[in-house]
Amino acid sequence: MGDFNVFHHMPWSGSYAIYFFVIGISAALFFFSALSWYREEFKSLRASSFYLSLLLLAVGGLLLIGDLTQPGRFLNIMNPAYLNFDSPLAWGGLNLISFGLVSVAYFFMLRSNDEPRGRILAVIGSLLAVGLPIYTGFDLTVHQNRPVWNSPLMPVLFVALSLVSGAAVASFLAGKNEQLQVMLRRFMLWSAAGVGAMLISLLGTTAYGGVGAEQTFMFLTSGVLGGIFVGLGILLGTAAPIALLVTPFGHRQTGIWSAAALLLVGGMALRYAILIGGQIVQTYF
Amino acid sequence: MSELRLSSIETRGVPGKKRYAMVIDLRRCIGCDGCMTACKAEYDVPLGVWRTWVPYRVVGTYPNVRKQFLPRLCNHCDDPPCVRSCPVGATYKVEDGGFVLQHYDRCIGCKACMASCPYNARFLLPKDRSYTEITGVVDKCTFCHHRVIQGMSPACVQTCIGRARIFGDLNDPNSEVARLVATLPTQVLRPEEGTKPNVFYIGADRNLTEHGRAVYNPPEVLERDRQAFDNHKA
Repeated sequence: MGDFNVFHHMPWSGSYAIYFFVIGISAALFFFSALSWYREEFKSLRASSFYLSLLLLAVGGLLLIGDLTQPGRFLNIMNPAYLNFDSPLAWGGLNLISFGLVSVAYFFMLRSNDEPRGRILAVIGSLLAVGLPIYTGFDLTVHQNRPVWNSPLMPVLFVALSLVSGAAVASFLAGKNEQLQVMLRRFMLWSAAGVGAMLISLLGTTAYGGVGAEQTFMFLTSGVLGGIFVGLGILLGTAAPIALLVTPFGHRQTGIWSAAALLLVGGMALRYAILIGGQIVQTYF
Repeated sequence: MSELRLSSIETRGVPGKKRYAMVIDLRRCIGCDGCMTACKAEYDVPLGVWRTWVPYRVVGTYPNVRKQFLPRLCNHCDDPPCVRSCPVGATYKVEDGGFVLQHYDRCIGCKACMASCPYNARFLLPKDRSYTEITGVVDKCTFCHHRVIQGMSPACVQTCIGRARIFGDLNDPNSEVARLVATLPTQVLRPEEGTKPNVFYIGADRNLTEHGRAVYNPPEVLERDRQAFDNHKA
């Protein structure tokens, strides 16, 4: 008591977590559409997952622009005279725009059903798509003063989260196509297992980090954020669907859809908790 | 022995270049908040945000208690993470002097610089201001660049009644700041972040310079104040 400090605010609010969620799903859905040119099982997803990817890309872009306090200046990120290539946000902006352009080209190619070009655009688009979760992860990693964020795991974790959430959405798009559901179940299971392994590692290094990291661990595992991170993110959104998917029920369509719904809840909760968790302690400094 | 320079934008020991720094002698600080007021007046800093602020902590057991102050401001780091993280180059380091400044017209308001600053030195300006059109962009302390290039000292330094704030060129071995840093034990905030700050403290207490363990269980009143502050800003 008797202390005084000014109250600092978190620079990145929860809307960034929604952006991470939406853009991760968009990237993975494009990847599944692209995969359809090379794997027969995914053929029924080619159009539907791409159209949803395009829609989510537009939503994500609007969210990102809307969160800027100077939304009218978003074009500055494309101004070569301004671009600062030391910033992952600059690379991310270029990645996002390139992905958008390739998606538009892919859209026209899809309508003309041009297979040779489709295969090429699928590969280029997939590479750009995987860049989206990687850059969002790097966006957090580069802030060396932020516990949890400043970990080399972040880009990989965001790629895995993207695959989990994307496969979950794709499983709803796949309908009753059993062959496809088997593949998507595998994607969900192994990506979720990867997320789980990375979370264990992340929690370990955070708990045994410096004072700021240790306090962040406390915030992430207790109180309101504990409910979101541990309750929704880890237990309900990662561990429960993994357990569900390995049971006989998880091999059936209803089981896969149940797991997919849980994974989506978990994917959103984890992104939110990681985003906010990395900022709480700093607000007291 | 010269210190290792890691980044090309560092001004440390660059021949012919100034490297402005501030030494804050906490043995002299009386917590009058004159520096905060002078800064607010100099820049019309809006309500609810600060370019410089003076947090304190009461230590000791009654009746032997005292306030420990820790004036804070942008550290004009030699290797500033905010400059690295800005995607559009709106934040930049002035080569001669080492000031970390803002191109207000470039800033898109992504807040990456705020996220990267270990010192909470950056804030967002509100969208409505009475006397200026600089709104809705990130702002911070400039080390009073406009005054210093005219040979004056920063407003907070000029007004400090106890001469607790001393400003000058660290690359000039005859300056007062260079002498203080060379001869007295000084501390910088969060040295582990590798930012190489140019604000040095004499006599800082680590209860104020480190993350306090009190955040495990912040007093309810702090949360109420925070809420009231948020409502006021909105």
